[in-house]
Amino acid sequence: MLTVSVKWQKKVFEGIEIDPTLPPYVFKAQLYDLTGVPPERQKIMVKGGLLKDDADWSAIGVKDGQKLMMMGTADEIVKAPEKAIVFAEDLPEEEQATHLGYSAGLVNLGNTCYMNSTVQCLKSVPELKSALSNYALTGRSADVDQTSHMLTVATRELFGDLDRSVNAVSPTQFWMILRKKFPQFSQLQNGMHMQQDAEECWTQLLYTLSQSLKAPTSSEDSDAVKALFGVNLRSRVHCQESGEESSETESVYSLKCHISHEVNHLHEGLKHGLKGELEKTSPALGRTALYLKESLIDSLPRYLTVQFVRFFWKRETNQKAKILRKVDYPLELDIFDLCSEELRKKLEAPRQKLRDEEGKKLGLQPKSTSKDSDVKMTDAEASSKESGESSTVTQPEGGSSEKGTLHMTGIYDLVSVLTHKGRSADSGHYVAWVKQESGKWIQYDDSHPSLQREEDITKLSGGGDWHMAYIIMYKARFVSM
Amino acid sequence: MAPGPDPNSVGDGAKRDEATIKVPSKDPKKKDDKKEEDLSEEDLQLKQNLELYVERVQDPNPELQKAALESMRQEIRASTSSMTSVPKPLKFLRPHYGTLKEFHKNMAESDLKKLLADILSVLALTMSAEGQRESLGYRLTGSEGDIGSWGHEYVRNLAGEIAEEYTVRQGEEASIEDLMDLVQQIVAFHMKHNAETEAVDLLMDVEDLDLLLEHVDRTNFRRTCNYLTSAAKYLPGPDDMLVLDIAYMIYIKFEEYPNALQIALFLDNMQYVKQVFTSCTDLLRKKQFCYMISRHGITFELDPEMVENDVDREMLQDIVNNTKLSEGYLTLARDIEVMEAKTPEDIYKAHLLDGRASSGPSADSARQNLAATFVNAFVNAGFGQDKLMTVPSDSTSGSAGNWLFKNKEHGKTSAAASLGMILLWDVDAGLTHLDKYFHSNDNPIIAGALLGVGIVNCGIKNDCDPALALLGEYIDKEDSSVRIGAIMGLGIAYAGSQNDQIRSSLSPILNDAKAPLDVIAFAALSLGMIYVGSCNEEVAQSIIFALMDRSEAELGEALTRFLPLGLGLLYLGKQESVEATAEVSKTFNEKIRKYCDMTLLSCAYAGTGNVLKVQDLLAQCGEHLEKGDIHQGPAVLGLAMVAMSEELGLDMAIRSLERVLQYGEQNVRRAVPLALGLLCKSNPKVTVMDTLSRLSHDTDSEVAMSAIVSLGLIGAGTNNARIAGMLRNLSSYYYKDASLLFCVRIAQGLVHMGKGLLTLSPFHSERLLLSPTALAGIVTLLHACLDMKSIILGKYHYVLYFLVLAMQPRMMLTVDENLKPISVPVRVGQAVDVVGQAGRPKTITGFQTHSTPVLLAAGERAELATDKYIPLSPILEGFIILKENPDYREE
Repeated sequence: MLTVSVKWQKKVFEGIEIDPTLPPYVFKAQLYDLTGVPPERQKIMVKGGLLKDDADWSAIGVKDGQKLMMMGTADEIVKAPEKAIVFAEDLPEEEQATHLGYSAGLVNLGNTCYMNSTVQCLKSVPELKSALSNYALTGRSADVDQTSHMLTVATRELFGDLDRSVNAVSPTQFWMILRKKFPQFSQLQNGMHMQQDAEECWTQLLYTLSQSLKAPTSSEDSDAVKALFGVNLRSRVHCQESGEESSETESVYSLKCHISHEVNHLHEGLKHGLKGELEKTSPALGRTALYLKESLIDSLPRYLTVQFVRFFWKRETNQKAKILRKVDYPLELDIFDLCSEELRKKLEAPRQKLRDEEGKKLGLQPKSTSKDSDVKMTDAEASSKESGESSTVTQPEGGSSEKGTLHMTGIYDLVSVLTHKGRSADSGHYVAWVKQESGKWIQYDDSHPSLQREEDITKLSGGGDWHMAYIIMYKARFVSM
Repeated sequence: MAPGPDPNSVGDGAKRDEATIKVPSKDPKKKDDKKEEDLSEEDLQLKQNLELYVERVQDPNPELQKAALESMRQEIRASTSSMTSVPKPLKFLRPHYGTLKEFHKNMAESDLKKLLADILSVLALTMSAEGQRESLGYRLTGSEGDIGSWGHEYVRNLAGEIAEEYTVRQGEEASIEDLMDLVQQIVAFHMKHNAETEAVDLLMDVEDLDLLLEHVDRTNFRRTCNYLTSAAKYLPGPDDMLVLDIAYMIYIKFEEYPNALQIALFLDNMQYVKQVFTSCTDLLRKKQFCYMISRHGITFELDPEMVENDVDREMLQDIVNNTKLSEGYLTLARDIEVMEAKTPEDIYKAHLLDGRASSGPSADSARQNLAATFVNAFVNAGFGQDKLMTVPSDSTSGSAGNWLFKNKEHGKTSAAASLGMILLWDVDAGLTHLDKYFHSNDNPIIAGALLGVGIVNCGIKNDCDPALALLGEYIDKEDSSVRIGAIMGLGIAYAGSQNDQIRSSLSPILNDAKAPLDVIAFAALSLGMIYVGSCNEEVAQSIIFALMDRSEAELGEALTRFLPLGLGLLYLGKQESVEATAEVSKTFNEKIRKYCDMTLLSCAYAGTGNVLKVQDLLAQCGEHLEKGDIHQGPAVLGLAMVAMSEELGLDMAIRSLERVLQYGEQNVRRAVPLALGLLCKSNPKVTVMDTLSRLSHDTDSEVAMSAIVSLGLIGAGTNNARIAGMLRNLSSYYYKDASLLFCVRIAQGLVHMGKGLLTLSPFHSERLLLSPTALAGIVTLLHACLDMKSIILGKYHYVLYFLVLAMQPRMMLTVDENLKPISVPVRVGQAVDVVGQAGRPKTITGFQTHSTPVLLAAGERAELATDKYIPLSPILEGFIILKENPDYREE
């Protein structure tokens, strides 16, 4: 009879007797009683190896009083979960894309960065995307020519490809059709396609889309593109010499920000752009005279596009020269004072609402409620309070109608910036900077999308050789009433 | 030198000396005039007296001669000398040096001649031309009186001349007996007068350090030994060993056993270690020795000769076997209040990054989960609890299993093995936790469990040898991942043990034609670890044969590099012993030959600071080779390995690496960050940190990856806020690149390793000792990092666990005589170099007072702030036994 002690986990079992004539299995059964570990899961360590069930005690050479060590638990054996875990690395490419939180870049096909950046900027307009996806359903209407149709379809396909792919998409098809539709983009220089002006591409593409997306009914309202981007301007044309005055309206897709020596900020540039001089024959004077044209905004688009007029034709050098002047632009643009009187009136109530909401967000009580008992309430406040109340009251009653209707506020948030880097429009490099729905900014440098900080976006305002804003797009901020 | 007709111009030396004593005029006549005018009454008197003596010396009357010489000697001895001016009598006698010399030459042999020789010897101090050693010459013909009576400056000068003379005579093979007598006198004088360093210098010059033993006493042996040990680092070849031998003997002589043990360990001389144990009779002190041995991480068996009592021996052996390490570490953790487990998210601190990382991907990324597994393992290392792997599995879905299965395929190996890391050093609990994974039917999980067993047992020895018992069976299994798990586990658990049983089971794998390359590579590596620094012939043979058997294609594989590395580890720090094997390596296939060469060279001279080897390696780095040559990587690492041992060499190496970075080819540049990481392990020097930060944005992604991993290495276990910030920014910079992000995560895990309680530095005991197993672990990881893409970013990421060999708590834990932790106040501050300083200089600066246990950062030193206890070791690191001071009185 041998007596040994067995160490198991942190416990030591002293004085366990071994009968050397019986196989070690008996010893294990003894330990089973003490520890609750089934014999088949017991691992007993003797010098240099494990104790086998059928081993011979004498061959192992266990000495009296020796300490043995046992390993083993009655724990459940780990099992793989029934539902296999799916790893991001195993997912098909399309699904991986959604995990990135932004879409893919576009391959540069040889000086096509102007096109790539335009496409990326326009793609950030979800309404345009949905309009395009509906296009297939409506089909080609008779008044749209073949190439426009093709370009529209190609745009739709390209947007779709971009959403699905993880890796950069090659816009070959789109490019071919674009060149077919607008042969000016096929210009060659030294056997290569030339760099083009992104603004031209932007305008032409948008124009084509507006033509083809017009519903067959061809009523003005159903022009999807116009509803999204169109700005109605009402201009007063005034001749100082004769005192004649006339007014005209026009619709444009973008506002121009003229850059002169006084312009330091987008706002000044816009104001500048809305004023113009033109020469035309004055019926009163019977000769050409100088007319002043002052425009004001009559209706606001969902997406306000502003083009910085950075390029001008320089006669001496016979090329488009670039104005490098720094023109700041805000992340949040208020164009209230560029609007016509009627529009301003319409905007007043929603703007008040917006201010109140923001005040609430900041933890300030709107004046109207805090001074409820105050007799000297201003009319404006009273009205705003009323309107506020009415909207809250009508909500439950309105039922079927959505929570009030959305109203323009004249306040816009920056959503995309198309920048140019270089000294002339036909050279250099175009890049798109687009705000995602998640609020993150992505720089699309052809095939390389990369994250950017918001504060870096406002640094694209020019004044050096860094990327500078050329076309910027704002999205209207709505308030429900 | 023949004396000129004018006594004033004796020779070149004299002229030079004139300049130094600020005599402006070159015209001797004018000079004399001026002198006469400037001299004070007293000086004039002295000068006239001396001139009189000089005349009288030349008098034929011996009586008069004698009187004159005696007076002259009196004058010289009475004058005080200082560093900046020549004593007056010497100055006035200068013009007469030539005369006296001439006279001495013609004098008949007599006592008087000796007396004159004595005086000439002193005069030669300022007059003798460089290289003439006249002072020594006259001294040897002189009267051999008390050497000190002529002042300290004279003795120093003499010592210098002896050293020169010695080299000359060595060249001529002339007798040096007369010199040695003088050396005896000088050494005795120096040792008595607080000039131990000069005595040691002289003895080193004349190559007779044994003399030192006769002259040291209680008051000066510490300073002497201190100087000897620090000088050893800068000595070439066998001299350094000799110097340390002497230091060891002195320490033994004065019963300063802890220091003696340190030197014995440095020399890797087990005979000396044994002698320390047999010489010491105090059991408590022996316990302290055991703690020191256990920190060094070598396998050491106590025998009855060292400790007689069986019970005592068992207890001491337990300490050597590190069985209490886990307990001590947890005591420290509880005291510092960092027991709470941390999740990888706590380390990443993504909320501090602006917006970018906020929207994480919804599906699990296997790569990122693997990174989290490692981060979790490193951060919670040794604490026994975490929030991913050890959480109780009885909750609805069994979350422990859950995390394991959130790793893909080979990732599960690392996940299961991470349990070993979390339960590091706690063998009982570790085996209990790992047990259930043994019964899995998934091979990677079994492999992980095997590796985990190895990790848990790292540095711990147990009588039952649980690691060998459990892993032994799996070495020859079918599945190669299981085999690798078992082999690597054995390598980690038995590193440095030289266990024959393991060798006999691993060696056959090396020469098994059917074994896959990865199994062979890991077998070679594990054998290298187990036999680290042993120069074992048989293991070397097996690895050499395995290397020769590899086909051309296999030699190109990334893992093949572990074969030469395993071979190199066998000779870690063994210098010349490698030469035979290095010869053999010249016959290898040229694809691996140079790699092998560099690895062997760098391992053999690791930690020696050998300048010649550094130059060899630098020359290799400077070559511009065509692509595909991989041997420059180990050369760069070798540079760091050789130079890492002492501060000066380390700084020089850092500067040389900066050059290499500028002029080297791409494959050299990739290794430079790793070399920097090795030089500054767990020691975040700001300059190195900046360099690495710069490189972490390098356009070459492999340079960037090594730089990022190295940032983790230099900050390992420090919680350094600056590195943590850098890595956080890198994590957002590289958020899209899965590989680089993986490296960033690993580095983040390393920086917070053990929640800041651990260090990776292989150096301990005030940077004197280099733990061979720790170095082996780090070097292996760095070699793996040379081809990051195929090894760490491939399916062999578990090589990261080799770091466990270097992981040690950076603590100072005081225990009482019963080995129970006690808290005493200590001062912790920056260590100051006190080598060769007189008196009792302060050893730390800028200190703060804490109570033990305390953490020690790189370059910090602790000292007891109370007289109540006496530490049993002068080196306050790791476990320190305190004895109550019998002379202590409460105030």
